[in-house]
Amino acid sequence: MSWFHAAKQRLADLFARERADRELAEEIAHHLELETARHVRDGLDPAAARAMAHVRFGNQTMITDAARAERGHRLAEGSVQDLSWAARSLRKSPGFTALSLLTLVLGIGACTVAFSVFNTVLLRPLPFRDADRLVFIREKTAKGELRPPSFPNLVSWREQTKSFAGVAAAQFPYPRTVSAAGDAEPVRLPSLEVTRHFFSTLGVAPVIGREFSDAEHAPGPGRVAIVSYEFWRDRMNARQPLGLIRLGDVPTPVVGVLPPGFKFLQPADIYLPHEGQAGTVRSSHNYLVVAHLQSGATLAGARAEMSALSRSLKTVYGTETEAVDADVRPLLDHMVASYRVLLSVIFAAASLVLLIACTNLVSAQLARGWHREREVVVRAALGASRGRIARQLVIESTLLVALGTALALLVAFGASSAIRVIGGTLVPRLSELSLDARVVFFSVGVALVTALVVGVYPALRLARRDAGLVLRSGRSGASVRSSVWRGLVGFEVALAVMLVIGSALLIRTLRNIVSADTGFDSRGVVTAAITPQESDAAKFDDVVNALRSIPSVEGVAFTSNLPLQWGNWSGPVRRPSDPKDRNWPAMAGFRVVSPEYFTVLRQPLLRGRAFTVADRVGAPGVAIITPGIAEKLWPGQDPVGKTIATNYLFNDWLTVVGVVAEASNWSMPHGTQNEIYVPLAQREKSVGQQLIALLRTEGSPEPVMVAARRRLHEILPHSPAQIGTIDERIAKSAADRRFAMIALTAFGVIAIVLAAVGIYGVMWYIVSTRTHEIGIRMALGATAARVRRDVLTSATTMAATGVVVGMAAGAYSTKYLQSSLYGVSRLDARVYVLGTALTLGVAVLAAYLPAWRSSRVDPMEAIRDT
Amino acid sequence: MDRSGDLLPGTFEMLVLKAVSLGDMHGWGIAERIERLSGGVCGVQQGTVYPVLQRLLRRGWVVADWRVSDNQRRARYYRLTAAGRRQLADEISWWRRTIGGVDRVLGAEPREA
Repeated sequence: MSWFHAAKQRLADLFARERADRELAEEIAHHLELETARHVRDGLDPAAARAMAHVRFGNQTMITDAARAERGHRLAEGSVQDLSWAARSLRKSPGFTALSLLTLVLGIGACTVAFSVFNTVLLRPLPFRDADRLVFIREKTAKGELRPPSFPNLVSWREQTKSFAGVAAAQFPYPRTVSAAGDAEPVRLPSLEVTRHFFSTLGVAPVIGREFSDAEHAPGPGRVAIVSYEFWRDRMNARQPLGLIRLGDVPTPVVGVLPPGFKFLQPADIYLPHEGQAGTVRSSHNYLVVAHLQSGATLAGARAEMSALSRSLKTVYGTETEAVDADVRPLLDHMVASYRVLLSVIFAAASLVLLIACTNLVSAQLARGWHREREVVVRAALGASRGRIARQLVIESTLLVALGTALALLVAFGASSAIRVIGGTLVPRLSELSLDARVVFFSVGVALVTALVVGVYPALRLARRDAGLVLRSGRSGASVRSSVWRGLVGFEVALAVMLVIGSALLIRTLRNIVSADTGFDSRGVVTAAITPQESDAAKFDDVVNALRSIPSVEGVAFTSNLPLQWGNWSGPVRRPSDPKDRNWPAMAGFRVVSPEYFTVLRQPLLRGRAFTVADRVGAPGVAIITPGIAEKLWPGQDPVGKTIATNYLFNDWLTVVGVVAEASNWSMPHGTQNEIYVPLAQREKSVGQQLIALLRTEGSPEPVMVAARRRLHEILPHSPAQIGTIDERIAKSAADRRFAMIALTAFGVIAIVLAAVGIYGVMWYIVSTRTHEIGIRMALGATAARVRRDVLTSATTMAATGVVVGMAAGAYSTKYLQSSLYGVSRLDARVYVLGTALTLGVAVLAAYLPAWRSSRVDPMEAIRDT
Repeated sequence: MDRSGDLLPGTFEMLVLKAVSLGDMHGWGIAERIERLSGGVCGVQQGTVYPVLQRLLRRGWVVADWRVSDNQRRARYYRLTAAGRRQLADEISWWRRTIGGVDRVLGAEPREA
């Protein structure tokens, strides 16, 4: 079993090197003692005996080295030795080590954080069973637009498709008034109406109770609900049996509780069976459709089948359906596709930060190499091979990178909880951000590459030096050429310029979105959303008076939909001359408003009149439209007095009484839409339908929000109000870009700081290698100011090259940002000038301290020194 | 001509193995044994036993442990393993063959050539 002994010995030696050295020393000491004693016995005096013992033993150092060399594996032993050498050498220069570690933490940390975001949002599978076989389906119109499908189309697909094991749908989430028990305080919570087999299609089973039965999906009274785990735990106090909750006024049995954290696209607390209330019009667009690919079916196959199916439905139903094709894509794609570009940009930005960090480390190693040249050369002269020296330097940078990576992971861990808080509301799935094995794996990979980049080049340079030359002259053989420095500094300035330009473009985009013309005046408008119950029907006037009498409120209006809220109704518009089943000339959104709506929002009336109190039930039906509809239906004519209808939104013909300017009612900054406004007083006030009060105030919105909440609670204790402002909604609609802006700005700042540190280091090094030369120049009469100016000029030239390259690279790479920009060209001159000026300014500032130091050189000392 | 300690390569290792095989011993004792038994012919540089002992340890031919020596001091004692014993036997037969060969060459008469 000699191999076993050998292995054991090797391992023991590797891990107990110091112990082995100690033991050998003890053995030798004991040996010398015994030998001395023998010579004393032979009659020598103690001193002579000791000398004799030493002579007979031989050269102790050589023997110790030889014994060490015999022990253990050569490479392993060498590496252990190199490692401790590296650790010692890092300890010896704490300033260099600390700065390098900081640089590494920023570079690798930025990359790790960016990748963990990328991983969480784009790569990690959705928390459903067979998540990769779930697809999201939309209708495609003749114009190529993607629309949420209608219920009848969904039913046709469900009955006829063979590619899917299940096709199900949910409506858009809708807030409802809920109380968990008969006497509990009611709250407004998002609810979701779902079709048959919705949960089983997603592969989710209730943790308590069951999914809706087919009978519960049938029309008729006696609705039941399934609740979220969080609602059951926090509001129902985890009670069992589940019992009843109140939805508005209606006691509703709870039949199931979903698993913790379940959500479909957006979170909801109450799930209701939908099919009893389902729409019957094929051209409506109200459903989020999800389907589970049959085992064996492919995405391409499913697409082909859905296209064929859409065509045959179109043949059967003609203009009743707008769908000529279907769009089938993986559910995850649908959820995060719009974030792919921005997150990739963020990831690329983090990689640039890492590149800058690497550049800094390479130049720091090169500069440090110059100071250490003597040390290396002496080692080489003493017989260390070039390979060995290079290896030691690589091991030193590897050790540095390993430490830096460990710290970076810690920092990333801390940063991810901050990002969860900041970004959780801005980007889907980001609230689930965590560092999983994939992220750690990635960071370790990045670290390995970094170690190679940072370690190998300087090591090769240093090991190549001619030992004799350095020792003889006592000075650096050939210091690193200035073109190398110029390249390194220029490179990092270029990267920094790119990042600064990118973040400046996004900052301007965000400002443009927030200050974009919405078509109405959003400043100071407070919104209060309520869902009145049956018992509240008589209290409408009280509500109006209570809100109007809030101090500093100048006007109160009501509407069916919050401005900038998607999910309202839209449909085709027709003239009396248009047959019912023809292709519709125009599409329009539909909004129910009170007479004060346009005044309160300051949406200008272009023609005709606004609604009045006279437009009520019994009076002729009226509507106000936007110019787009008028141009489509009656080009060149005055639309006031004409009549319009839509198929399913309302049955009567409405007389157009006015035209208002278009406004961004759905989302920002996608511009404006056609819209039909109808008077609130002429619509049936349906129970459970939400109503939104808009309060115009000139002062600060906060006190109005507080007062509105209190007064509404007094009048409608069972219908809690959701208070907000329109400006909040505008800010939210730019959430993805806000997140990218925050990330790019953070990386931009880090990049500038790192570049500044790099330039500072390089200039410092250059100045210290030229002390001699500067001394001579000053002795020959150059003034301090002149010397300082020369150093600054050389720093500026290096940075300027980088600025030019950075601008060109920025102009090229911002094309990936193009689709995210709003109101600013990606080649915006102001951004480029500001970005480059900022970077250049920081670069010159960073060079100032070394320049100042250069001017403080004492000519006598500098010359004498060498 | 001083050729003391100038041994055939590998010979000293064999001598150390043999010395250890005579009874567990510490480094000095091994050097002393070789010197005494060879009549002072082998082993001028006593320290040389230590690299050799490290090599033997690495190959698993000897093992070492710390014991209390005759002079009441902690000392590292080496002991031959079974593999070491086999190795020693191999080396001795190799040595005998080599020596026999060398002897025969040296003892040759002119007419045998």
